[in-house]
Order: sequence, then structure tokens, then C-alpha cells
Amino acid sequence: MGILRIGHASLRVMDMAAAVRHYENVLGMKKVMEDKHGNVYLKCWDEWDKFSLILTPSDRAGLNHVAYKVEREEDLDELQEKIEAYGISTTMLPEGTLPSTGRMLQFNLPSGHEMRLYAFKECVGTDVGNINPDPWPDDIRGAGAHWLDHCLLMCELNPETGVNKVAENTKFATEVLGFFLTEQVVVGPNGSIQAATWLARSSTPHDIAFVGGPRMGLHHIAFFLDDWHDILKAADVMAKNKVKIDVAPTRHGITRGQTIYFFDPSGNRNETFAGLGYLAQPDRPVVTWTEEHLGSGIFYHTGELVPSFTEVYT
Amino acid sequence: MVSKQTKKVFDGMKCNFYTGLTMFRATTQTFPVEVTNTGESYPCAKNENLLRGMVRLGRRGIPVGCINGGCGICKVRILSGEVEVVGPISRAHVSEEEEAEGITLACRVAPRSAVVLTVVGKMAKPFLALAAANGQGRLSTQSKGE
Ligand code: FES
Ligand SMILES: [Fe+2]
Repeated sequence: MGILRIGHASLRVMDMAAAVRHYENVLGMKKVMEDKHGNVYLKCWDEWDKFSLILTPSDRAGLNHVAYKVEREEDLDELQEKIEAYGISTTMLPEGTLPSTGRMLQFNLPSGHEMRLYAFKECVGTDVGNINPDPWPDDIRGAGAHWLDHCLLMCELNPETGVNKVAENTKFATEVLGFFLTEQVVVGPNGSIQAATWLARSSTPHDIAFVGGPRMGLHHIAFFLDDWHDILKAADVMAKNKVKIDVAPTRHGITRGQTIYFFDPSGNRNETFAGLGYLAQPDRPVVTWTEEHLGSGIFYHTGELVPSFTEVYT
Repeated sequence: MVSKQTKKVFDGMKCNFYTGLTMFRATTQTFPVEVTNTGESYPCAKNENLLRGMVRLGRRGIPVGCINGGCGICKVRILSGEVEVVGPISRAHVSEEEEAEGITLACRVAPRSAVVLTVVGKMAKPFLALAAANGQGRLSTQSKGE
């Protein structure tokens, strides 16, 4: 059936000790291993595969790559053919390129972001197991994030030069990778410019999102929480840990998600995203947000854009 | 009740609500930080970075992003004064050559003396435009765009 869900993100960090403290104490992840290059691998308590976040030591912040899991090994071969036929070159990285992970199909989205697809990652189980499990484990720390939920990639958009990597990514993701569009922001004359899109493969409102900006980059990676009360508690945890909060608890019009945006110690933006939003299905009518209502789409309560939210990313 | 003497100090400082609340808290040494783009200045403690010091007082002047040295939005040129680097600075935003010239990230340096700085880089334009709109910008400042 192709892509299942987001599998992991690989982020560059400038201070590994501070980064691990942040993802463990604030998000509630657990470090599962460190490789000989000093890369650290972490996982959330409700995830069953070995890791969902890789931190790599660097002199800058940002995204190395984002990976999605496919259902079967054959999906990788089929997708490789389709992607190549579309005109995008790919590389099949051999098993073991990443620890506990099978071969990975590597390519760049039209926006330039590196994406990898894989079918196998060692299953270690959730922290409550799968025989008569309790609803949550006893050693939850910080916000107690359930799982890595989605990522938002900033893509070059310049109407003057006609560059629109949001539209290009969206076309590629829907036609080749099998994502379906759930929501979009359209701007410009007659809404002719697709400036932001939200796409799904699973039944949540988005597994990936693309937003237009002056240059490509990572806007945020998001972690799932149950509900609004968990969002409040997560904000308390951030205050206790002196985390820089970018946008305090609020709700998105787009996806209906309940949210907090904040920064990791290297300046990579994180989100805690709560609630189902709605049942995303390929036949659900696409939701469109127009330029005049963009503020409400992003931050539903105030309807106002926050400058740092739109202008700052890594 | 505000004593007569206190009131005098308040008036002399053209206080706002926050400075009124925070002016007597200063147990750590502070240094004045001047942002030439707007002519604004604010006191920053020597144990906090220039951006955090500004934000904590509810002041503006330098664009605010991650406050963690990664996004580059707070890129400044130190025109005078001494600062100390207090955390990693993303090389994606400040090259070694730039750093040698006194360009840095406001969120990664703490003051060691009175500091005069100017905002540079990609946010400089809207920022300067804003200053111009407010009629208080000293627009002669050269900004070195990327
Ligand atoms: S605010 Fe992001 S680098 Fe200073
Ligand atoms: Fe998000």
C-alpha cells in the first residue's frame, strides 16, 4: 500500500548534551542508542519501532532528512521506478546505513529536502507492551509525547520569478508518493498561487505539510499529545525548563490541531500537536483557506499572524 | 504608596509599567545596550544574552526568533563594546570571517561593557522600514545584507 506514516527525522544540533536533555526532559523521549559518530537516536513511549529522531552533531541547526515508512519491501522498488520515471533521481541506500533499519530509498523532493523511504526498522514495542497493556507507562517524563506526528517543510516560493516549490512538491507527493491533499492556502489573483498545503497518507489531517517562504528549510517537527489538557501541561513543562516558546497554547483553524510551538536548544522548531482534528480520507473534500482568512487558518483564536512564526526557521 | 523620592526616580526615568516593576530588582550588574537602527537602548545583565535581556524587559529593536543561536534572525554587528560568546552560533548564518568582523547573534552573546550594535542581515529591511514608519529610525546605518 506504499507509505504508512512518518518514520523519523534527522536533525542537526549544535550542543548534543543540551539537545538530548531537551528531547528527553521536555518532550519525554528516551535515548535508545548512540553510534560511533556521536549521533543520538531517540524514541517516544508510544512508538514501537526503534527510533523516530536522530540528532547529529553539527555547527548549525536544521534538517538532514525526513524518512517515511512503507508497508512492504516491494513498495520501495515500485516507488523507485515511479520516482525515476517522474524525473527525480534516487539512490537505494543499503541495509545498515542507519542502525536497525533496512535499505532506504533516498531522493530529494522538488523543494530540495532530502526524503528517505524504508520498509524495515527493528520493532522494540511500545513502553506498555502489547499484552494486556496499561493505557500509559509509569515513567512518563515531561510532555510525554506519544509519537512523532508530522513535519512542515518550508519551500521556496517567489511569485515574481514563478518559482513555487509548494505546488511542485504537492504535485509530486500526490501523483507519485500517493499522498492526498487535505487542506491548502491559496493566495494571489483568483487564488491562483498554492502557497501552503497539508497532505496525508494515514487518517490524520496531515503527515507532511509544505509552506512557501524565501528559502527552503525546516519549519518544525511535531509530536502528538492526546488533548488540550496535555497541551497545558506541556506548556508548564516548557516554562519549568526555560524553553523558548514561540507560540503559546492555541488552536489552528487548519487541521483543527491544538498546539504549542517552541524551539530546541539549537533553534530547531518543535510543535506539540493534540487532537485527532478530523478523520482524513482521500475522498473528503479538500479544505481551502483564502488570503484574507489566512490568520484564522493558522491561529484560529486571534486570527493574527505571529511574525516569528512565519519568518523564522532553520 | 509610592514615596516622594521613589516617585521622583520614576519620573526621571520616563518609566513604563515594566521598568517600574523591574528597576529595583537589579542585583546583578547591567550594561546599556544601544540599537542604532532605532536609537533605543536597554539595560542587559552580564549573565544573560543580549536578546533574552531585551525580550525579558518587553523591549524591541532586535528581531526575535529561537533565542538559541540556530535561526539567525537576530544577527547583529557589534559597533562598540565587549561581548562574550555564551553558546554555539550557527555557521549557516555567521561565517568565521563575519565573526572576526564583529558580526554575531544577539542571542549568543552577553555584555561585558556598554554595547552599541546594529541589526544586519535579512530582517534588516522590514525592520528598518518599520523604524522609518515610526519616524525614529536612523536610516544612515549601513546594513550588510546576505
Ligand atoms: S534568535 Fe535565533 S539565532 Fe538568535
Ligand atoms: Fe505542525
